[in-house]
Amino acid sequence: MKTLKNYLYISAALVLLAGCKPSFENPKANKGTADFTRYIAVGNSLTAGYADGGLYLEGQQNSYPSIIAKQMALVGGGKFTQPLFTEAQANGSGYLKLTGFTPTGSPITTTVTENTAVRDQISVPGFGNVILYTKYSGDINNYGVPGIKLQQIMYGPYGNLNGYFERLLPGAPPTNNTTYLDFVTAKDFTFFTDWLGNNDALGYATSGGAGDVLTDKTQFSQLYTLSIDKLTQKGAKGAVATIPDVTAIPYFNTVTVGAILAGVQKANPTVKDLYISARTSTDVNNIIYAPRAATAADLVVLTFPTSKIGQMVNSPAGMVPYGLTPYAPIDNQYVLDANEIALTKDYVTAYNTTIKTIAQQKGLAVFDAFTFLNDIKAHGILVDGVSANSNYISGGIFSLDGVHLTPRGYAIVANEYIRAINKTYNASIPTVNISNYRGVKFPN
Amino acid sequence: MKKLLLLLMWLSPAIVYAQGFQVNLNGQKQIGMGHTGTGLLQDGASIAFNPGAMAMLPENYLQAGISPLWFKSGFNGAGTNDVAFTKNRVATPFNAYGVWGPKDARWKVGMGVYTPFGGLTDWGNNWQGKYVLESLDLKSIFFQPTVSYKLTDYLSVGAGFIYNYATVDLQRAIPITDPDGNTGQARLKGHGKGYGWNAGVFIKASPEFTIGLNYRSEVKTNIKNGDAMFSVANSAQPNFPQPNTFEAGIPLPQTASIGFGYTASPKLLLALDVNYVGWHSYKELAFDYASNTPTLQDTHSPRNYKDAYSVRGGAQYKTCDKMAVRLGGGYTTTAVKDEYVTPEVPDANRYYLTAGFGYKVTNKLDLDFSFEYEHLFSRTQTNIESNLSGTFKSNVYIPGVSLAYHW
Repeated sequence: MKTLKNYLYISAALVLLAGCKPSFENPKANKGTADFTRYIAVGNSLTAGYADGGLYLEGQQNSYPSIIAKQMALVGGGKFTQPLFTEAQANGSGYLKLTGFTPTGSPITTTVTENTAVRDQISVPGFGNVILYTKYSGDINNYGVPGIKLQQIMYGPYGNLNGYFERLLPGAPPTNNTTYLDFVTAKDFTFFTDWLGNNDALGYATSGGAGDVLTDKTQFSQLYTLSIDKLTQKGAKGAVATIPDVTAIPYFNTVTVGAILAGVQKANPTVKDLYISARTSTDVNNIIYAPRAATAADLVVLTFPTSKIGQMVNSPAGMVPYGLTPYAPIDNQYVLDANEIALTKDYVTAYNTTIKTIAQQKGLAVFDAFTFLNDIKAHGILVDGVSANSNYISGGIFSLDGVHLTPRGYAIVANEYIRAINKTYNASIPTVNISNYRGVKFPN
Repeated sequence: MKKLLLLLMWLSPAIVYAQGFQVNLNGQKQIGMGHTGTGLLQDGASIAFNPGAMAMLPENYLQAGISPLWFKSGFNGAGTNDVAFTKNRVATPFNAYGVWGPKDARWKVGMGVYTPFGGLTDWGNNWQGKYVLESLDLKSIFFQPTVSYKLTDYLSVGAGFIYNYATVDLQRAIPITDPDGNTGQARLKGHGKGYGWNAGVFIKASPEFTIGLNYRSEVKTNIKNGDAMFSVANSAQPNFPQPNTFEAGIPLPQTASIGFGYTASPKLLLALDVNYVGWHSYKELAFDYASNTPTLQDTHSPRNYKDAYSVRGGAQYKTCDKMAVRLGGGYTTTAVKDEYVTPEVPDANRYYLTAGFGYKVTNKLDLDFSFEYEHLFSRTQTNIESNLSGTFKSNVYIPGVSLAYHW
């Protein structure tokens, strides 16, 4: 019986063992040759965490710089503070919310207007209205300013024209005269990410080539060189990103010429073509627009009110249906036509050549967002059992504005940055689990 | 006009039961000896190990055993610091056998109820691979009426018919977020049945040396009218019609074994088994939903398993008339090829070590304890279907106990 007793003891011990988990020894995370003591993020809306057509607290909290900073902290990175909206004003600028679907499956969005941080609206002579937000005073590591172009980073009065920048500055309009570049470099830092330049092409593209201009290539190159020189002046290391192909975003690929035409033809089968006001040349100085039939190579913006199509409007030829004759083509602002696309692509390619060349000269890490997002547009991406692509809403990466990203999209971007940083600086910052980040929120 | 093709991302649910889902726990005496038994005459568990041996059993048996199983698995996502572990849940493989024949008759009849396949993996609903799998509970119970006949004093044969009753309960997250930030949930729950057979030959080559041959057929198990439950944000729910049912087929693989027993001395018994498991029949896993939508399509997931082999050895030493100690171990190759490893069973080549202790409570009553430890080799993989990338490590702990009455 003694043996039996011993056996029972041994069994009991073994059952306790059953509580043992397998163990993992993570390779020691290290910062490599970089120093993440004070990381700053320089950039525009994408850097700020802008999503769903607005800047709001949840978006800020899921900004790619904040995700990167959390991971940097695992290899000795320092504190990272964002100019967050308060809980009471969590909706920031207000944003779009998906509230349902029409019977045909089209999404219905509603703008959130309560609990915003809007404090005032001023009119700047010669510029227009500027919405002002509750001031933020405190540490800043994320300097993302929605709307800013590279072209504007040396412009002193810019702080009076952009409410998101004004919010970070101590002064009130029209007294602000600190350039963006001076503002972000005022306090020392050891590492930076820089994703400026998108709006230099995107502003032109999203306005259908009507409301904005492309930043001159030479000016872009000069300012980019200047800004990187200044950012690296005191020995900081960093990572930069290229500018995505503007045609890779759902803002231009959701409402298509074919879909509009099919809708019209359902009611009126005799309609053959949509007409648009299209640029006649890809020469940047030759700005002549003429009506012509639209093709699949012309991209219609997401915000185009399709109900306008077919409405009777005044024209030189009398009352004609909007968009269906050369006499009343779809307005320029709603269409990025084939020549405008070619022009934009040419500029983006030049900008990216500048970015990559300078990054190489300075030994900076590069996240090639242009290639990465084009690849997602072409093939989608599959991470941890979640397949994502560039489709509007269902794709999971782009938020409801069709330009900016969802938390899932920003997390994917953060991981790409981390991979680029790890590669260039021989570091091993851990990446994040994409499955912890959401896509678009669906209503109940 | 912003016509939305709501082709939401929906990967096929993936029941994979790998070698890990072959639960080699068919008798406590046998587990103690490295789960050898094809070529031995230990007790009524011969019904599972080798029906051919049944007629050679010196007595009639009525016995039952249970082997609570802790499958402890961990996952470390590639490039991340995050580690997920399976929850502490216990699977309960069991076995029960009855063997009877008149004294001195050349035949015996028997009934076995045992659980050669099954698995319980629960990663919880908040881990990196939740969109691949949250939890899977697969049970399979074989009912096997068996007959065996002694052709000569040194040769006997036997065969049984297998009826399999299987249940499955699979849960995973759907990457659709509701207004509160919750992800959607899918649950597939159902039961099914399958048929097969189990046959063997037993040879007493000499008083000391015995040989067993066993073949158990594939048991194609079909699950019909299983509940396919999907819960997502209301606005996306029409993509996942409810109520819905599914059908799926699981080919539980054929196995062939040869086993040897050698009575080295009246006190010492040695055994060796070699098994082949025909996993190659598991080419794909298909789910057929009764109601389909563009989002919820029937799925065909490639599995392309390969055959697996194992070698097992064991020894039993009788310390006195009443007591026996047992030791054993073995090695099994994985059925899952590279790139096909999934969290259902993060299968890998494995070794195992076993120990056992037998005690004769009376002349007619055996009390047997067993313990098995399995170690699966670390496997770093990127799955071909989900791109889930990382390292799996697993250990299995299986204590067990049985009572056998014989007369």
